[in-house]
Amino acid sequence: MSSVTATRASEVGAPEHVADRSSRRNPRRRAAATVVHRAVVVLLMLYLTVPFAWMLVYSLYPGQNMRGQHMDFTPGDLTLGSYARLLSDSTFTVPIRNSLIVAAATTVLCMALGSLCAYVFARFRFRGQRVLLLSMMAVQAIPAIVLAVPLFVLLRAFGLYDSLVGMVLTYTAFILPLVIWMMVSFFESIPVNLEKAARVDGCTRLGIVRRVVLPLSGPGFAATAIFAFITAWSDFFLAKVLTSNSSPMLSVRTASFQGIFAMDYTAAATAGVITALPVLILALVAQKWIVQGITEGAVKG
Amino acid sequence: MAEIRLEGVSKKYSPKDSTYAVEHLTYTIPDGDFVSLLGPSGCGKSTTLNMIAGLESVTDGSIIVDGSAVEDLEPHKRDLAFVFQDYALYPHLSVADNIAFGLKMRRMPKAEIRRRVKDAAERLELEGLLRRKPKALSGGQRQRVALARAIARRPGVLLFDEPLSNLDALLRDRTRAELKMLHADIGSTSVYVTHDQEEAMSLSDRIAVMSKGRLEQYGTPSDIYLRPATEFVAGFVGKPRMNILDGDVVERGRVRLRGTRVVVDAGTNLGDRTHVRLGLRPAECSLSTVSEADADGTVVVAEPLGNATDILVRIGGDNFIVRAAGFSDLRPGDPVRIDAAGVAVHLFDAETGDRISE
Repeated sequence: MSSVTATRASEVGAPEHVADRSSRRNPRRRAAATVVHRAVVVLLMLYLTVPFAWMLVYSLYPGQNMRGQHMDFTPGDLTLGSYARLLSDSTFTVPIRNSLIVAAATTVLCMALGSLCAYVFARFRFRGQRVLLLSMMAVQAIPAIVLAVPLFVLLRAFGLYDSLVGMVLTYTAFILPLVIWMMVSFFESIPVNLEKAARVDGCTRLGIVRRVVLPLSGPGFAATAIFAFITAWSDFFLAKVLTSNSSPMLSVRTASFQGIFAMDYTAAATAGVITALPVLILALVAQKWIVQGITEGAVKG
Repeated sequence: MAEIRLEGVSKKYSPKDSTYAVEHLTYTIPDGDFVSLLGPSGCGKSTTLNMIAGLESVTDGSIIVDGSAVEDLEPHKRDLAFVFQDYALYPHLSVADNIAFGLKMRRMPKAEIRRRVKDAAERLELEGLLRRKPKALSGGQRQRVALARAIARRPGVLLFDEPLSNLDALLRDRTRAELKMLHADIGSTSVYVTHDQEEAMSLSDRIAVMSKGRLEQYGTPSDIYLRPATEFVAGFVGKPRMNILDGDVVERGRVRLRGTRVVVDAGTNLGDRTHVRLGLRPAECSLSTVSEADADGTVVVAEPLGNATDILVRIGGDNFIVRAAGFSDLRPGDPVRIDAAGVAVHLFDAETGDRISE
């Protein structure tokens, strides 16, 4: 409050120097703001990364180092032993394979259906378009927990309970609407005249999607695909409800290290790192693509 | 090469619309001609072009190219190329691939594609830029790539949608001249949309002036300029704008510019009209300084342009512009008399706006 008053007083006193004065004052204030800003960012980073870093540390030391009152962080004790153990355990590798298959298949299905569907929403006008798009979003608002029991009953009735196909179909149903929404906005940002040019040049509608629209929405397409993959890969709840022994999923298997009576913390931490790794890598890759602006220069300056 | 015939072509964007976006266009664009569709924005000229291209459907009527109706054909089956206002280059493809795109789509042999890309690039001086992406080019270069892409196809019909309007004034004049040479060189029938009457006049063999979805006049530049068919055309073509004011029929075949002593020969049968709209070109009239009592009006402003001076005169409640050669001594407030002896007189019906023909 007092600083506002001071500024006003100086403005009244020497109006011709206002700009001069404020620019002389600003650098210091800006520096202070930068320091606060950076500090908050660092704190936030720590808050978000420390649990993960702790998990990583936990997975790299033998169990006995981390037990008891005095933890032992001797660098010489670092080992990948728990990773070797887990990755040679078929009750862990089978869930990895299952989760990979389900997440990849879900992604392919979502992107194939989603991009065609989104193109129609972005470029054609038809009756009920808005209602359709909004109702897809409305379905998204229903929490998975509400749908879990009906889904369980449905999947069992179709013989898809505890099957990879069942999981792919379930995840596609959940993720597709969001994929469509994201792709619609990417497609709408492509200049319509490019598509007109392609039509004159001899492309069919499908040809336009393949040769012009998809290459131009490349970063958006990749980001959306990664979003779909990560969502399917990291789901726990639906996997827990809809699968059992014949199609175990990685997220459920990872959680199972937390026993009722005893708990192997090292194994749990290792499984956690392995589960998080693909997500981490994909997120880093996607970030690069999202930042890229490829449509620059498509039309006039 | 191709002749384009429009027969009663109309367009409604929605069946519920009460008015047409384009209404009952009928005219023929001769083979090899350069025809401009001229009019203010929203007059339906771009819609017409899109209908010829097949990018918009035709509600009524027929478009006939070389004797066969094309209005139901897909754009790429119509043997035409399109140059867009915003160039519409594919940003993910190099200049060479942009030029080759339409040829590849038509499954042309690779050697032929290479030859044509090279030829088009040479004509438009793009040889050094073939590997660049569009975003690494200036506006003028992008426009040349768009032109190269169009001519590489060697289409029967070339369509242009305000291709020069994104260029700065200097580049626009240069590109305009090049466009004219390019047309003379390749000889495709060309349809060119513009709102710039100067561009239309300088480029075209014929001009179709449109307003509110309707054809006002279709003719050669000299037809349009010397014998405008409607009051709209008279006001739209020519710079400065033609003075079109109320005139009273004072005696048989003579019309007085209302509120002045200017009386001109109608040179045509006015029937039983008592008043008409009288059009006089600014460059044909002249001014002389007179005493206040003899004046037709007073000078409001004089704008020297170097080779000429535009002088705005207030007569009664209206403005009258005169373009005088060189610089003028007239100052605001000077009482002046308008001299219109021997000038071309354009008379329009006061109700319909149609030319009262000789």
